[in-house]
Amino acid sequence: MSTDVRRRPALAHLFWWFLFSQGGVLTALLLPVHVLVQGILGPLGYAPVVDRHYDTWVNMLGNPLVKLYLLVLFAFAFFHYAHRLRYFLVDVGVRAARSVPAQVVFYGGAGVVTLITLWILLTTAPLFH
Amino acid sequence: MPAGWWTRNRHYVNYMLREFSSVPMALWMLWLLVEIQRAGGPPSQYRPHGSPAFIAFSVIVLLFSLYHSVTFLSLAGTILHFKVFDRPVPSRLIVLAMFGMWLVASVVVAFVLVWFAR
Repeated sequence: MSTDVRRRPALAHLFWWFLFSQGGVLTALLLPVHVLVQGILGPLGYAPVVDRHYDTWVNMLGNPLVKLYLLVLFAFAFFHYAHRLRYFLVDVGVRAARSVPAQVVFYGGAGVVTLITLWILLTTAPLFH
Repeated sequence: MPAGWWTRNRHYVNYMLREFSSVPMALWMLWLLVEIQRAGGPPSQYRPHGSPAFIAFSVIVLLFSLYHSVTFLSLAGTILHFKVFDRPVPSRLIVLAMFGMWLVASVVVAFVLVWFAR
């Protein structure tokens, strides 16, 4: 009997796992402070926060490093969310969430959010004007 | 397996809560994206999020995101294995380093968000 089985590295799996894990780490490190400062302390008036005023917010968003930071955060985070939500649905019994069309919808959705983020970052407080 | 399998055990419930945490976190980030997009309009029409409903939602998202951070960063000790001078780095040290990074990142982001508001 032939045992000629070709071994190929699971590159697609590696790719999705990389996006998922990096998204998990980035959101773990960065999201709580954004929610605390921009979602709670700023609106309650306990701290001055850049997004409470138009001028300071536009100045910050005009910085290319801030644009890059936000793009990386949103891109990785949404691939992480897509992966988790898909498996959450699988776990509650939605078998269709395993299918290829579901993968296209979830990861494609994360790609769409990334493109929308890129477009918003390029058109809001543009670098070249 | 029945759809409600995870309700039988507290650990399963915690696991599902962690999986579900991605939904409120994603919604909050979409809210932030809207606020970024609003900066593209005229200054007179700029209104940052600040309703009681938004603040209440942010408190819920903060709890979910803290749960995600603690569980995900704690996993690093199980997932990451590497050696320094031919000796394996203890997993507790790796987890401690991740929590240290979390603290530093939080302080830096908070400082930038508040300092540049002046």
